[in-house]
Amino acid sequence: MDILGYLLNALTPFNLMLALVGVVLGTVIGALPGLSATMAVAVLVPFTFTMDPAAGLIALGAIYTGAIYGGAYAAILVNTPGTPSAIATTFDGFPMAKRGDGGLAISVATIASVAGGIVGAVALLVLAPPLARVALAFGPTEYFWLAIFGLTLIAALSVGNTVKGLIGACFGLFLSMIGVAVVGGDVRYTMDMQRFLAGIDLTSAIIGLYCVPVILDLVANADPHLKPSETGGLRFAEGFRHSLKRKFNIVRSSVIGTVIGILPGAGGSIAGLVSYSEARRSSDDPDSFGKGNPDGVIATEAANNATVGGGFIPTLVLGIPGTPPDAIILGALLVQGIKIGPTLFTTDANIVYTFIWGLLIATVLMLPVGLLIGRYAYSSITKVPKAVLVPTVALLTIIGAFAIHSNVEDAQLMVGLGILAWVLNRYGFQPSPIVLGLVLGSIAEQGFVQTYLIGNASGRLTEMFFMRPISIGIIGAALLTLLFPIWSDWKSKRRAQLAQAGVQFANAEASTIPEPKRRDVPGMIFAGLFVILGIAIYVGASALSPLGAVFPIAIAAALIAFSVLLIVMNLRRPAGGPGETLDLNGGAIRRIALGIVMLAWVLLIPEIGFLVTSLAAFLAIMIIADYDRPSPRTWAIWIGSGALICFGFWWLMANVLLLRMPAGMLF
Amino acid sequence: MKTALVTIVTGLLAATPLAAQSVEDFPSKPMTYIIPFNAGGESDVSARFQQSEWENVTGQQVVIQYQPGAGGAQAWSQLNSLPGDGYTIMGINLPHTVLQPLAGSVGYATEDLTPVHYFHYTPDAIFVRAESEFTSLDQLIEHAKENPGLVTFAGSGSNSSNNLAAIRFNEQAGVTTTYVPFSGTGPSITAVLGGSTMAGFNYATSGVSQGDAMRMLAVASEERLPAFPDVPTFKELGYDIVGGAYRGVAVPASASEELRQRISDIISEINAQPAFVEKMESAGFVLTDIGYDEMDEFVAARIEDYTAGAKALGIIQ
Repeated sequence: MDILGYLLNALTPFNLMLALVGVVLGTVIGALPGLSATMAVAVLVPFTFTMDPAAGLIALGAIYTGAIYGGAYAAILVNTPGTPSAIATTFDGFPMAKRGDGGLAISVATIASVAGGIVGAVALLVLAPPLARVALAFGPTEYFWLAIFGLTLIAALSVGNTVKGLIGACFGLFLSMIGVAVVGGDVRYTMDMQRFLAGIDLTSAIIGLYCVPVILDLVANADPHLKPSETGGLRFAEGFRHSLKRKFNIVRSSVIGTVIGILPGAGGSIAGLVSYSEARRSSDDPDSFGKGNPDGVIATEAANNATVGGGFIPTLVLGIPGTPPDAIILGALLVQGIKIGPTLFTTDANIVYTFIWGLLIATVLMLPVGLLIGRYAYSSITKVPKAVLVPTVALLTIIGAFAIHSNVEDAQLMVGLGILAWVLNRYGFQPSPIVLGLVLGSIAEQGFVQTYLIGNASGRLTEMFFMRPISIGIIGAALLTLLFPIWSDWKSKRRAQLAQAGVQFANAEASTIPEPKRRDVPGMIFAGLFVILGIAIYVGASALSPLGAVFPIAIAAALIAFSVLLIVMNLRRPAGGPGETLDLNGGAIRRIALGIVMLAWVLLIPEIGFLVTSLAAFLAIMIIADYDRPSPRTWAIWIGSGALICFGFWWLMANVLLLRMPAGMLF
Repeated sequence: MKTALVTIVTGLLAATPLAAQSVEDFPSKPMTYIIPFNAGGESDVSARFQQSEWENVTGQQVVIQYQPGAGGAQAWSQLNSLPGDGYTIMGINLPHTVLQPLAGSVGYATEDLTPVHYFHYTPDAIFVRAESEFTSLDQLIEHAKENPGLVTFAGSGSNSSNNLAAIRFNEQAGVTTTYVPFSGTGPSITAVLGGSTMAGFNYATSGVSQGDAMRMLAVASEERLPAFPDVPTFKELGYDIVGGAYRGVAVPASASEELRQRISDIISEINAQPAFVEKMESAGFVLTDIGYDEMDEFVAARIEDYTAGAKALGIIQ
């Protein structure tokens, strides 16, 4: 039977239903930050034991691809990546939603996700065995340079504020080192606290760094969360036309996503970041990226859904899972008695090809499913009154951070990091460089130390780092990304100069002299604190094994250097910058109150119990976020729905996801 | 829809509070089995094999959850804070639970943990990829003797079973090789297959999943493995290296003696299921049947062995 023949096997009503249910379930789970594809797949695996292997795989694959897509909703609507794969979706998705283009953002995200998913799945269908070689061609050196490439995106993300971006990245890299080191086995920077042993959890850190500042700003004024769109709806036709014009972006991002998906240990977040960076570089208008350019959403979403198909390539061909959900699916296959490996595509062709077709069908089903769920999600988030929206989002952040490991400490860390991120962001240290450092730190460190060990063993250290063909390609791309913003900046200045020279005589005073930057005192204070942190990191490294100390020392040096640079730069500027006065207006008080309630919430959960604490906090945040002063009747409805939301999520976690809920005094 | 329904029903059952009950009735509701690692590793795969037999043996399902972090230490340090009603059990590994507390403060001590059954181990083994010039262990050792330090081994983690075996190999064969730690079996196998390192010190199970793409030169088991009748043991070749990672099941310290024995019996019974034995052995796992009654003796012997290894690793003086 040829490949097309297996399509009929995938088209049975039962398989179609599994694909549909899987995509719906996955999209919803992915949209809720913290509830991950891994978790959903892990819970459902036992039910596939009794199914036909291909059917079980279709269900799991559909959930997986749906969840990666669903991550875009939270990214666009509340600036929080629903899954780490959607980190780069927030860069442009949320600004779009804020200015009233949220519907369009969801439309292009849906179209790009479906297109990317199809490219990945088709690659899996027709090219899996040869493409699996890509996974093997990537050694430690290539992973190291790939991580460095990812970090160069900071230069583009923080134009005009590069030093602060670099300091943020160093801080993120420091966060990534906390815990037990893979290479060397040292216990690093845990301050002897049990909670830091496993390191900073990426998902809860992302939720804190991106989402908590958003809700803190939400309560500060009465403006609606998102500007209501003028036309309403998802503007699908417009999104489709725009995507069609950007077909080259879609194809390039999908190919990047597929290839990075093949690399075990890289994953959707890096695929999204790399293709975002490429889309920005090749755009005619790179400066509009990060300010709500739909092309940024297209690039990320096409790439991260392409990693689904790409990730199955090493999983099925080599038995090396590309991502955590792939690993669970691999386990499910082994239990079914299916032998993974190069022969799988011939001996069990029936199962494999039926599954791949099923995955393709599920990907196509994302279009109607996504547009339906998207329309509902968008309209409800614009219509829900602030007094209900803010506590609901706050509840979701806490659930998300808690659910990953059934661990309240993750939620506490999330709130703490979130408040820190809000303060840092206010003084120009944006969250994205910190997140990039955190995501890429361990990949960079492991790649670096492994390359060093291997190169040192053979006495060819320079060759190992700089002479491998794929590495040279990645280094080239990294240099381009790093230097391109500087070059385009220079070019536009030069153009402005030329234009200016032409009109100088006609209109001398119109030449705008940019106002000199004033001394940024708070920025200097933070830089001083980062110098102290850098010294502490350096001192802490002295107790580590040589393998475990290399990276911390390098990061400490960079952190100190960039912070000192920031201080020196500011000292050379004229004093008397915009004085920050601590203005305790109504907005600030509400912010502080919300921060305190959220801190109290996560600290009291283990003492009192999840449900009771959440109900109380929900009510308190409602009062903090309310600007409408509605009638008692409306209040009753709000409180009722709040109680329903709290109870519903509690029930879902305790009884469906089977999380271990903290046993407090009450419940 | 059936799956969703089953999920909900199982969930409801799990939520139903049960009065105190006799151990003979145990278990009377689904159990939770925490794996302190990410999915896809040997711990996960062997637990999934057990999961597919669990209902036959106990009449109840088991739910597998992952709590990865700090090479397992994150979960083990929390084991004793879980309820001791027997419905929550946790995977436990050796040498991890001996070496980690020796290496640093990881939030638990070896004797804090209560393993009730060690049901299998995966012997360490030396692999090279199919294209490699080495076809026997002797060739590799000869090459290592001529070029000290040049031979690189990819393995899973620092202070791990693979790491111990590589150190022991250096001692026994009188060579100097370089051990390169990776973040798990998957990445280290990728390094071997891709030729990033010359060879790998991995678990024998990888030989099954990789088929002809990798060649196993020697295995650290007492006897040759059923899945690899042609691969010699280190012992046969004259090197005293027997070891690997043992995996078992632990309970919180608050679990009663009767419950500990009962759970040990359940694991033993699963170990005797023909379908389970078939799957485990053909995947390269070596079954062991170390129940609760022999546990103290077994763990004491392992501690002695690993403490010597920890000295060689430089973890302790």
